[in-house]
Amino acid sequence: MSELFGNEAWWVIILKALLVFVVLVVFTLFNIWFERRVVARMQHRVGPNVWGPFGLLQSLADGVKLALKEEIFPKHAHKVVYFIAPVIATIPAFLAWAVIPFGPEVTIPFTDTVTPLQLTDMPVAVLYILAVTSIGVYGIVLGGWASGSTYSLLGGVRSSAQMISYEVAMGLSLVAVFIYAGSMSTSEIVAAQAEDTWFALPLLPSFIIYMIAMVGETNRAPFDLPEAEGELVGGFHTEYSSLKFALFFLAEYINMVTVSALATTMFLGGWRAPWGISQIDGANEGYWPVLWFLGKTLLFVFLFIWLRGSLPRLRYDQFMKFGWKVLIPASLAWIVVVCVMRRLIIDDDLDPTKILVVAGVLVVALLVVQFIPERRTPAVEAPEPDAFAGGFPVPPMPGKQPVAPSGAPVAPSGEKEA
Amino acid sequence: MTEYTPVLVLAAISGAFAVFSVLIAPLTGPKRYNRAKVDSYECGIEPTPQAAGGGRVPVKYFITAMLFIVFDVEIIFLYPFAVEFDLLGWFGIVEMLLFIATVFVAYVYVWRRGGLEWD
Amino acid sequence: MSAVSVQAIVGAAPSPIEAPDVDYATISPLLIILGAAVLGVLVEAFVPRAYRFVTQIAVAVVGVVAAFVATVVVGAGLDTVDGEVTGRGGPTAMGSLSVDGPAVVTWAMLLFFGLLGVLLFAERRLDGGLSAFTSQASTPPGSADERHATRLRIEHSEVFPLAMFALGGMMFFASANDLLGMFVALEVLSLPLYLMCGLARRRRLLSQEAAMKYFLLGAFSSAFFLYGIAMVYGYAGSFGLAEISTAVSSQIGGQNLLLAGMALILVGLLFKVAAVPFHAWTPDVYQGAPTPVTAFMAAGTKAAAFVAMLRIFFVAFGGARWDWAPAVWAIAIITMLFGAIASIAQTDVKRMLAYSSIAHAGFLLVGMAGLTSGDGVTSVSAVLFYLVAYGAAAIGAFAVVTLVRDAGGETTHLGRWAGLGKESPVLAVAFTIFLLSFAGIPLTGGFISKWSVFAAAWDGGAWPLVVVGVVASALALFFYIRVVVLLFFAPPQGDGPTVAVPSPLTWSVVAITVAVTIVLGVLPGPLLDLVQQAGAFVR
Repeated sequence: MSELFGNEAWWVIILKALLVFVVLVVFTLFNIWFERRVVARMQHRVGPNVWGPFGLLQSLADGVKLALKEEIFPKHAHKVVYFIAPVIATIPAFLAWAVIPFGPEVTIPFTDTVTPLQLTDMPVAVLYILAVTSIGVYGIVLGGWASGSTYSLLGGVRSSAQMISYEVAMGLSLVAVFIYAGSMSTSEIVAAQAEDTWFALPLLPSFIIYMIAMVGETNRAPFDLPEAEGELVGGFHTEYSSLKFALFFLAEYINMVTVSALATTMFLGGWRAPWGISQIDGANEGYWPVLWFLGKTLLFVFLFIWLRGSLPRLRYDQFMKFGWKVLIPASLAWIVVVCVMRRLIIDDDLDPTKILVVAGVLVVALLVVQFIPERRTPAVEAPEPDAFAGGFPVPPMPGKQPVAPSGAPVAPSGEKEA
Repeated sequence: MTEYTPVLVLAAISGAFAVFSVLIAPLTGPKRYNRAKVDSYECGIEPTPQAAGGGRVPVKYFITAMLFIVFDVEIIFLYPFAVEFDLLGWFGIVEMLLFIATVFVAYVYVWRRGGLEWD
Repeated sequence: MSAVSVQAIVGAAPSPIEAPDVDYATISPLLIILGAAVLGVLVEAFVPRAYRFVTQIAVAVVGVVAAFVATVVVGAGLDTVDGEVTGRGGPTAMGSLSVDGPAVVTWAMLLFFGLLGVLLFAERRLDGGLSAFTSQASTPPGSADERHATRLRIEHSEVFPLAMFALGGMMFFASANDLLGMFVALEVLSLPLYLMCGLARRRRLLSQEAAMKYFLLGAFSSAFFLYGIAMVYGYAGSFGLAEISTAVSSQIGGQNLLLAGMALILVGLLFKVAAVPFHAWTPDVYQGAPTPVTAFMAAGTKAAAFVAMLRIFFVAFGGARWDWAPAVWAIAIITMLFGAIASIAQTDVKRMLAYSSIAHAGFLLVGMAGLTSGDGVTSVSAVLFYLVAYGAAAIGAFAVVTLVRDAGGETTHLGRWAGLGKESPVLAVAFTIFLLSFAGIPLTGGFISKWSVFAAAWDGGAWPLVVVGVVASALALFFYIRVVVLLFFAPPQGDGPTVAVPSPLTWSVVAITVAVTIVLGVLPGPLLDLVQQAGAFVR
């Protein structure tokens, strides 16, 4: 961690904070355009191409349009919270970027002041990011609650349940990175990857878990259940219009970029140039690293869009089941493996190349297993009612307890789960 | 604490932006009153009446929240351990494995008793 | 950027952190109980429903018995310490636990109470083959779901692991050697108890209300305790009792911080032992909780909290005795008088026992105000003896309460108990013995225990407390005698009380507690020797 963090001149801090803010807003406008173009390409369409070069100004026009829309204040809305919720959602989205490193120490043009391309850093930087981003959940759940509408409430509650479920997996996947880096400071994690290798390689399972969790965490397709149009209209922001809606939209896109930037920093070497370019002298100095950083981040953003373009939405129970029953045990098991493996490597009892060999064998074995036909055992045991069977009256699921009108025959059991 | 002053600066900038947006919105947009517009949106049909207390949600969500707390606390214990991993030696690993196993027991219990089912 | 070369960054290894030295054999009783609790959770997860209840009983009983044996072994192996205090054993696990004489005696006592409690939990013959716990706590009382669950004969066998966790917390509480450990222990013992209070099969709303009250007030008192800890930390710069003691005796300044901290910690603990004016939860919780839970809680919590309180105030704040002693005096006096007077007005057996428990907290506080060291009966040994005698009688009395029933479950109104002596002379005699022990009549354990705390207080110069204590005893005696008269000589109301036929489990609990109460009254020697040999707290 550089000594400069927190000990800089006021104007440097304000300049950098303003830059972070501007970069995020512009990046968001760009991402909206980018998403529309890429999805359009995937669907054999053209996408926005009229306003500005390649239609780049389309998002700006949309933003202005939103500002000129009527602000609707729903009848049942809670007066104060309805106003505060978008603010609560927006501020933490920006704040997470305070500790994201964009590049090394550089000289500010026209001066001789040296400053790291990172607003600040702290020994618990990643923990800070996790903490700040989870405050954003409050904005969503409060917005859903304060709207006084059924869809909003359900969307808000779903969203918070979803985000906290995937936050666990996300938090667990980062443990392995901290073990390898020996620090939670973002700049030191980047430095550790410079000495070692990109953590995505030795910690591939962590990387995969993180990528899945980050999609769930940001409510993006295929995990965009809080905004499932078919079920919930718009989710928590159904009742929001005009600039308040724009703020939620902004926060959502910034969060998407935030998790991408965090993935870059944690697993893909942060701002350091990728292998091949890094051999060139000066690739990791000056303002060039910003390019590598934004490029890698954009790679993840593209991944988000790609997922949206190709995968259908999951059902809610499938989604929660995947998060709680697959991701969490897998992360815990992987942490145990990493602990033991890392210890053996430190004690020189284990050669890292051997691990790669074993991992290769395992992957092959897994692939082979995939080709063994699955034998389905019919579920015989009737589910026993138990302490978790809802404590709140919920109507029976269709097909579960067929209620036959008097005289009419009960529906045949083949009709399960319409 | 000086590392945190830039955070405050960024918070002030973004906060000012967000508050400004919320406050400016009524001024920039038109105002055309329509009774249906201020009702809750329920796809065009008459909105259902509000439930008492703003609507209650199934208790399942609270169980999820409690489970989240359990695992979040576990993560909070794992982080310092991970940072000081190199110094803690085998003793640290064994202790942490015991801890993970203990939390896992609770997890297995919840799983087996159907706490993770959403049907 | 090099290829995979992990050794590179490991190269200059900083000095590793030294692994703490933990003597696992010494703390084995704690580990066994907590292990049994964890095992119980796994049993709950994997054993089929039909065998679950029986398996849980087996796990709990084996765990408690094994822990008891381990405690005896640990206790026999304690070294005698002759430092500034005479005692046995000492701190272990890097000073976070103090396995000394009083701690080991308390462990044994708590395990004994725990065994009796488990036996009461296991009773299933009283309520048509079902335990005293609700079939499904998450169903609303009186709902169709509840009836459905009852019809399926579902049971909450979770009470056994919960009880084991609570027991583990109590044992930890009694032996923790730093304030932070004590706080963790306090929570570990409290949280399962809050939950267990809300699990009654009959009168579920009352039970849930009791759990809610207990939880809210308990959380409140935990906050007091925690604030106190923070202030004492601010004063002494350490959580360790020994370090705090050093800071107190060297008077390093900031006395106000210390006084505030002591006061807050005292409040938190007085809540747990149910001393006036922090007793408000006791009658409601004792009445609403399932009676086996009340029995376990009444005996166990009081014992653990009192030993912890003595440990904090004698070890850490011993040097500030003149600051806290007046508060203890005042609270002891009002607790004794209030408990005795309020119990006179009670018409419900469980509430009456609750107020009696409040009064006993007062008598125990008298013991706390007594002699700290010397040849005679010291505070610690007197309180330990008192806790054994009171706990045994309380568990026995609540066990009797589970047996007197009518169609709606236990019948706890005193009027309905009239004529119990004719219906079931054995039960009535047993209940009488417990009441006489509460009253402190000679030839019962209650007499010796009262005598020992009064003796300790008298030797310590707290004679006004002894006078008040005797007066309060006399007041209480009046009431207990009235109940005895009601049991044997009053004409029964209607059909009179019905006594359910329990399984040998409850009978054995009643028999054991009667035996303990009488033996402690007739032959108190061995236990008195034991608690006196246990010596003082070692830090």
